Amino acid sequence: MKEQLMEILEEIRPDVDFENEKQLITDSVLDSFDIVSLVGALNDEFDIDIQVGNLVPDNFNSIEGMMALIEKLQQED
Amino acid sequence: MEINILRQLERTAERFKDKNAYSDPEGSLSFGRLTELAKRLGSGLAEKLPPRSPAAVMTGRNIYTPAVFLGIVYAGCFYAPMDPAQPESRLKDILSVLMPQVLIADRENAETARRLGFEGELLIAEELFESDINEQRLSLIARSACADDPLYVIFTSGSTGKPKGVITSMMSLMTYIDAYQEVMGIGPEDVLGNQSPLDYIAAIRDIYLPVMTGASMFIIPKQYFMMPAELFRTMNEQRITAVGWSVSVFTIAVKLKAFKEARPEYLKKICFSGSVMPGATLRAWQDALPEAKFVNQYGPTECTASCTYHEIDHRVADDEEIPIGKPYRNYRVFLLNDDGTPTPQGEIGEICVAGPILALGYYNAPELSAKSFIQDPLNKAYNELIYKTGDHGRLREDGVLEFRGRKDRQIKHLGHRVELTEIDSAAMRIEGIEEACAMYLKEKELIFLFYTGTAAPKEIAVYLRGVLPGFMVPRKFERLDKMPKLPNGKISMQALKELMK
Repeated sequence: MKEQLMEILEEIRPDVDFENEKQLITDSVLDSFDIVSLVGALNDEFDIDIQVGNLVPDNFNSIEGMMALIEKLQQED
Repeated sequence: MEINILRQLERTAERFKDKNAYSDPEGSLSFGRLTELAKRLGSGLAEKLPPRSPAAVMTGRNIYTPAVFLGIVYAGCFYAPMDPAQPESRLKDILSVLMPQVLIADRENAETARRLGFEGELLIAEELFESDINEQRLSLIARSACADDPLYVIFTSGSTGKPKGVITSMMSLMTYIDAYQEVMGIGPEDVLGNQSPLDYIAAIRDIYLPVMTGASMFIIPKQYFMMPAELFRTMNEQRITAVGWSVSVFTIAVKLKAFKEARPEYLKKICFSGSVMPGATLRAWQDALPEAKFVNQYGPTECTASCTYHEIDHRVADDEEIPIGKPYRNYRVFLLNDDGTPTPQGEIGEICVAGPILALGYYNAPELSAKSFIQDPLNKAYNELIYKTGDHGRLREDGVLEFRGRKDRQIKHLGHRVELTEIDSAAMRIEGIEEACAMYLKEKELIFLFYTGTAAPKEIAVYLRGVLPGFMVPRKFERLDKMPKLPNGKISMQALKELMK
């Protein structure tokens, strides 16, 4: 899963070091446009449906947060 | 209408001394305290800077930034805000155009300011706020102020690769705020929700409407705009009633399905601007907030943020085009053909603007100013400057104006004005790039960069992040073996357009 996620993130923002950035939202590394692209891509790739309530900094600040969110949503299905 | 901002501020502060002027999640400034801080800063600054001089400002997204701006006005000077999050090279470009004697930074940004190698004096906002108020000096400065003194210089993307500083006078600002307030019906009971970065033109409404009307303004943290649940919760907590936001914010909220769980309950007055509002987005907002008033605003920084407005009077259809409407009070807006003749009703011409809201020109750029602000070709009788926007428009039979795109390669992206040529020239400075051409795919709000050479996309993205504001960095990089060309040797934009599909 991590590889697929990294591929998506690299495509959206090739300039960001996703392995080491842990405050992607809080430090405004990603902007709202990135989030819209990201949510769409994650929904498609992982067959999940990210809801507005899932859009909190903790879920998107780091790849760990994103993976936890994806897992959680996959289990809910 | 009062045209002196400081007199207006003092009048409002007298009426609403303890009412909040500005708030953010960390705290609030009452009108009384705001006036006091501005006077303190003005008194301190007046010791160092003669009236009618520029002061660069690099401060954070918080309630003290407007107090710094107003303090500079108390010193009889004008401010040029710089977003500390911008790349250093761009901040240096701004300083090289402005050549200010002083740069005011808050403690948080002082280190960034020092790194810029600024040759003038670096002043710390918090220290200036501690200065003693010198009423005598301030009133002398106030007495010699003129209505057309510059108020601010706001920098925007320039096609030559250097940012352009648009100079706006106090009179122009007050004319606009007065006209906007009339259209939106803003009063002391309103709470404005600020979205625009404070260094950006759209923020003038959020900063000066409270001064003009006694309304309060809340600065919404930037990251809330990607987290709609958080955004609406804050708006409801703060009881925000009126917003003037960039179209992209409305679009993003809809794309993130913001209305599924909540809505901003108190929001009644909504103005959007910055780019073309898609009918479907507006419709989604109308459905969520059927009682609210929606106003489309159009206009460039050079005409004090705006020219025209259009109040939406019905539920729009998904594919409906929203007109840009009629001129604000004290704005003269009309269409000209390329040969300087008037455009007949129903035909497409260039949108031109005149009136007391015209900018004083571009700072330290007399040639560019003379080219952009010209004598009205229809007026042979007396001096009258107009600004040619570079936008195309068409006048409907009922006098309502429609937007019909750009003449050149300037685009509006996420609410910001972007000269694609500025991206080209930045990309061409990369060693591994031979030719570069930036293109815009409007439907998807994506900036593409087509290039020839050996550079890898990652390398280009990293470099451009270091020299351009984030919103200007292309999201798609397409390496080509050969740039498509027209017979005259120019790049074929039409061919590139095909490649974006």
